[in-house]
Amino acid sequence: MKKIVFFVLGPDGPGIIATISGVLFDRGCNLEDVTQTILQREFISIFIVSMDDSGDENELFEVLRLKLEPRGLFIHMKTIGAGEPARQSGEAFVITAVGPDRPGLVSGITEVIARHDVNIVNLKAVTRVERKPPEYITIYEVDIPASIDYNRFRAALQAKARELDLDVNLQHREIFEKIYQV
Amino acid sequence: MLTEREIIATLDMLRNENLDVRTVTLGVSLFDCSSDDTGRFISNVRNKITRLAGNLVDTCDEVGLKYGIPVVNKRISISPVAAVAAGFSAEEMVQVAVALDEIGAGLKIDFIGGFSALVEKGFTKGDRALIEAIPAALSKTGRVCSSVNVASTNAGINMDAVALMGRAIKHTAEMTADRDGIGCAKLVVFANIPQDVPFMAGAYLGIGEPDVVINVGVSGPGVVKMAIDRARRKNPSLDLGRLSEIIKRTAFKVTRVGELIGRKVADRLGVPFGVVDLSLAPTPKVGDSVGEIFQSLGLKSIGCPGSTAALAMLNDAVKKGGIFASSHVGGLSGAFIPVSEDLNIAEAAASGRLTMEKLEAMTSVCSVGLDMVAIPGATSAETISGIIADEMAIGVINNKATAARLIPVPGKKAGERASFGGLLGEATIINIPEDGGSAGFISLGGRIPAPVHSFKN
Repeated sequence: MKKIVFFVLGPDGPGIIATISGVLFDRGCNLEDVTQTILQREFISIFIVSMDDSGDENELFEVLRLKLEPRGLFIHMKTIGAGEPARQSGEAFVITAVGPDRPGLVSGITEVIARHDVNIVNLKAVTRVERKPPEYITIYEVDIPASIDYNRFRAALQAKARELDLDVNLQHREIFEKIYQV
Repeated sequence: MLTEREIIATLDMLRNENLDVRTVTLGVSLFDCSSDDTGRFISNVRNKITRLAGNLVDTCDEVGLKYGIPVVNKRISISPVAAVAAGFSAEEMVQVAVALDEIGAGLKIDFIGGFSALVEKGFTKGDRALIEAIPAALSKTGRVCSSVNVASTNAGINMDAVALMGRAIKHTAEMTADRDGIGCAKLVVFANIPQDVPFMAGAYLGIGEPDVVINVGVSGPGVVKMAIDRARRKNPSLDLGRLSEIIKRTAFKVTRVGELIGRKVADRLGVPFGVVDLSLAPTPKVGDSVGEIFQSLGLKSIGCPGSTAALAMLNDAVKKGGIFASSHVGGLSGAFIPVSEDLNIAEAAASGRLTMEKLEAMTSVCSVGLDMVAIPGATSAETISGIIADEMAIGVINNKATAARLIPVPGKKAGERASFGGLLGEATIINIPEDGGSAGFISLGGRIPAPVHSFKN
């Protein structure tokens, strides 16, 4: 297996992660670690993926570049940059997805998120190796526009979670703030 | 910015540690429903409760879903019926209870509390009618809860009321004998009853309370136990001072959850928010037990010597954490030790490690009292009154709420099992020594005077 590190930098908007993780999934890549952040209007995300030794990273780079460039997104391997705009128009929720690690988890969930026009403002994935079997936890901080019916959104997430053998929770961000902030 | 550690810890509390909001209780004053006509009174009550609580269950479910914290019970507390229906006879009081039960069923709420009387200093006609109505009212209804405050630190102990309640409990058990005396699970005798308890069976809306108010009861014994276990695994040399700090911090988090949910429900219903009752309320489920916390603190079982000290520390740490977390704390606020409702405590009682005497001792440092204790069906009314009187004395002297929710299980003896179903759980009937030895004392009646408030030794 080989590891590839790349970052994507450019204007923020819904669907970036879904596009990238879709391409990775199609090529059998495993998303090992990802972080995303937004500074002012700039989106940046760093991905560490593993791919089979026989995989072609140049082909992967070209496909990603062709998909991302029309959106004004810049992709670079092994380097770090700075990111872009959040739409902060709705309410802040946190989606947590917990389950055994396997390819396609992030792709599957972000597809649902993108389809509902929900924007991811922060994304973290961690593996809890102390659990048997190890648990893969993905935390999406999202901004849900007021126009979205979040019960329907939740139902769509849960339907996808069942397909992916995940336990998914959608919770308003305030609950986490209240518990930990004095 | 949220940290992943905070998010994952919250997730664990929900997924593995049974964090929930145990109850959102809507208090509704019925003083403006009074009438000299039972039918009109019931109609006024139905209109008012239905208007104010029509959306209670849906709102709690929606808010629970939005924040990912389930609201397990949705309840209503009302003004003491003995006061708002003071002119009615016992038979009419029973009609009121049946109507309350129907109103509760229509609104899909779990319990409606406030079939209550406050008699610590003496009886009104309404109080006597209500107490007389309790056995029939509780046998004919499923949701109605009854409480009678027979003592207070400022008034002393109304021993005539204590005697009456011994008989009422006995009669209620007999009228629900087919279900192990379940009527008594909905009946509690109090000293120093708080006016804003959201937990049953003691919930009622006090006379000094607003017209309508939301009070919230949090829970979380599983969260506290897991926090202690995690901390001790990480550092096996933690002493009790450090462990009480961990309990305090955990109670803070649990209380924050309750307050947030309560305030959101209150906002949506357009009703003022009252208090958070930050009690550790167990359910008959492994991992949701107060009894298990004693084991996490190194005791073989609740009931072993050391249990009263452990409970005192737990109760105090829970209060400290909760009071820091919310500016409006009320109700009972502490640790509950309801025997049948806590699988671990029920097992300790069944094994004989937890006796009636130890339970009574422990109630001097916890927040409720002798709660959900199944006793032999043959226990005399006078002995039950004696147990109540002892429990009331603990509350009166220590200036705290105490209560007795005793279930004399008809036809069953010590060591046999009684089952009440659902959250009420099941328990082995606990032995009551020296049955019959209290009758002479109880028959004296009168009022034990209020205690002196200084020279506390």
